[in-house]
Amino acid sequence: MEAILKAGWGLILFTIFTLGCSSSDSEVTPDTGDTGSTSSSITAALVTTTSSNTSCSASTGVAKVVCLAEAFKATLSSSQVSTTQLTYSKANAQKWSNLPAGLSGRIGIDLGSLSDTQLAAFRDLMVALLDVSTSNEGYDEMLGNLVADDYLNTVGGGSDYGAGEYYLSFLGTPSTTGLWEILFTGHHYTQPYTFNAGKLAGVTPAFRGVEPASAVTANSKTYQPFEQERVTFAAMLTGLSTTEQATAKLSSTYSDILLGPGKDASFPTAKSGLQVGTLTAAKQALVLDAIKLYVNDLDATSATAILNMYTSELANTYVSYSGTTAVSTQNDYVRIDGPNVWIEFSYQGGVIVRNTPHPHSVWRDRTGDYGGN
Amino acid sequence: MKNNISTIGRLSTWLIVLLIITLLSGGLIAHPMPNSVVLLRVNQDHIHVELQLPLSELQAAIGKSVNDSSAGLTERLGPELRAYLLAHVRSKTLDGRPWRVTVGALAVHETKNTINGTYRELTAQLQLIPPAGTDVRHFNFDYDVILHQVVTHKILVSVSEDWAAGQLKEQTPVQVGVIVLDIVNNRILPLAVNLESGNIWKGFVAMVRLGKEHIAEGTDHLLFLLVLLLPAPLLHTRKRWASFGGVKYSLSRLLWIVTAFTIGHSLTLLLGAFGWVKLPGQPIEILIALSIMVSAIHAVRPLFPGKETWIAAGFGLIHGLAFANTLANLSLDTGRMALNILGFNIGIELMQLAIIAVTIPWLILLSRTPYYTYLRNTGAIFAGLAAVAWTAERVTGQANSWTAIVERIADYAPYGLGVLALLAIVFTLKTRLIREG
Repeated sequence: MEAILKAGWGLILFTIFTLGCSSSDSEVTPDTGDTGSTSSSITAALVTTTSSNTSCSASTGVAKVVCLAEAFKATLSSSQVSTTQLTYSKANAQKWSNLPAGLSGRIGIDLGSLSDTQLAAFRDLMVALLDVSTSNEGYDEMLGNLVADDYLNTVGGGSDYGAGEYYLSFLGTPSTTGLWEILFTGHHYTQPYTFNAGKLAGVTPAFRGVEPASAVTANSKTYQPFEQERVTFAAMLTGLSTTEQATAKLSSTYSDILLGPGKDASFPTAKSGLQVGTLTAAKQALVLDAIKLYVNDLDATSATAILNMYTSELANTYVSYSGTTAVSTQNDYVRIDGPNVWIEFSYQGGVIVRNTPHPHSVWRDRTGDYGGN
Repeated sequence: MKNNISTIGRLSTWLIVLLIITLLSGGLIAHPMPNSVVLLRVNQDHIHVELQLPLSELQAAIGKSVNDSSAGLTERLGPELRAYLLAHVRSKTLDGRPWRVTVGALAVHETKNTINGTYRELTAQLQLIPPAGTDVRHFNFDYDVILHQVVTHKILVSVSEDWAAGQLKEQTPVQVGVIVLDIVNNRILPLAVNLESGNIWKGFVAMVRLGKEHIAEGTDHLLFLLVLLLPAPLLHTRKRWASFGGVKYSLSRLLWIVTAFTIGHSLTLLLGAFGWVKLPGQPIEILIALSIMVSAIHAVRPLFPGKETWIAAGFGLIHGLAFANTLANLSLDTGRMALNILGFNIGIELMQLAIIAVTIPWLILLSRTPYYTYLRNTGAIFAGLAAVAWTAERVTGQANSWTAIVERIADYAPYGLGVLALLAIVFTLKTRLIREG
């Protein structure tokens, strides 16, 4: 009976959604109303951010991450460990994509194969690595991404999509001395953490995106994980004067990001657009707000160090865009290009939810990608 | 042969090929936006180009709602689209002289792949003609359709057909390059196309190979011939097949039948390939199925005893028309057509002779035993059933499960040959033992 009710509701929501899509064309501003609703046992197991781990609480920094990584491995069977624990190589680190894992193979262990105990240990690791205090940022943004993919699974995407299709791997053995990486990657979300000699050496290339762009409800909570970024980019661009906008505007069209997966070490030699140093402090702050929505996804300690660097380089950072300043139309595109920071945001055509744009975004670092390796 | 089916088969092969190209390029890691595909068909003195342009990306490049309202697009915007393509497809000799470019037919299709789902594309047929006396196989392809504006776009360039290099349309296109923005330097470089040197011999050999494959895969042609040969070693009365007629008798009848079939199909292949005779594929395919039926019945009870040569020649005419349709689909240079027909025909003959050479000795051996009647009737009934299935398929235009079974059995033909040889040896020994005993 419950299943029938659920299916009925799904059908009604899907119909409403389809009708909504057909009436609007390529110009869609996601509203805050729910697109649909979906829950899986995986997102349910990950929804709490209270760590169940007690043995690692005494340690801090990289030592704590190593402790939590080991605690996660301790919950795995030996064959699961050999799936998860791989050797560090650039080739392994480059195995990320903006396609679902079913279309572009990932390495590591998929969340779909983990038990609730193992998922809890995964969550304990991720809540230590990501910010847990802000809705739709940090850990919550990641979870929202899994929720959205569960939703795609139910609206025609099929088994290539879903929270179970996200993969965690350790490249190199977790340690406070050597070179190793935590790589968490799935359809619209990739976040690497490269450690070297007891220090965090790099957190890029990090891919963010989501389809649908509008809100999805799961486990009685509403997620719209990438809406803040879009709104903040729009605020940054509309905050500029007409002359500044003209300088920032790129003549080319971008139907996707430039430096997606496979485009490593391909940063343009010449910077395009508007130099942030020429702007008023208030407008510079708007640019920094956009950068923060990427950097502050990380735990506070890691975020502060990186943000300090990007802030000190802000004057020599450039912003540019293509399309509209509202960042709400298909092929709208924004770029932040600094001495180190590189962020691209592309509002592009829908794939599963056709005729409705969705964001793709990449955060790279001109020297810090793959921890400088 | 199998015209409808092979067309569908070819289309799906193409889709798979395109999908593979799409997936392989860029290492299967990115690009949710559809790519452009450029297929080069290399002829003797010009290159035919098919462009496949995703309309969503084309709209982003030129506006004009080409994707939002794609109905009647080519009627509405044909001249504009042609002018646009001419401005962005430039081919130059290595020393910088421009080729002549013309834009032919435009069409809008809906297409599909795993990554992008269903989307619409514009296809355009172009001719690239080098200045007189310059090489068609080495040039700089200065192409930036869509890409001049949409810098995230990607263009996959492949050779779909290159006769002189031995690459025919039925093979997988060979990628020669990808045109993308050079992000680091913010520029689009022309693609240097350097095709391996081609010659007439490579093309000829490819045609021989095609002819061989055509017969090896052409279950219906083979079945016709084999069933016609089944009673060839036998003497006959007016109503029944009788005993073995001797080796010399058998070989002479085989030779006549095979030669007659060859003359028949060579004649219509020649006429059809040059376009002097053109018949629609479906009736030919149906007649071929019926020809198998007739020779199957004949193998059970003589319908036209002693006149197999004429029957073989007559049906050869029909089979030749089917071969000609295959050649016509290849859209080869007419200047080289005679060579193509010769190569294709030689391939067909070589394969036929090879199959006859490995089959006939066993049939002759078996026909000397009393058990041959069973083999002949079994073979004839199987061929008859296959003929019924093919006729039904070709009349209705819909595949049925019988033909699938026939094709599957045909895959095991080499094993069947082994069984035939074994039966021939066992029955020959047995017959001899009985006679001696």
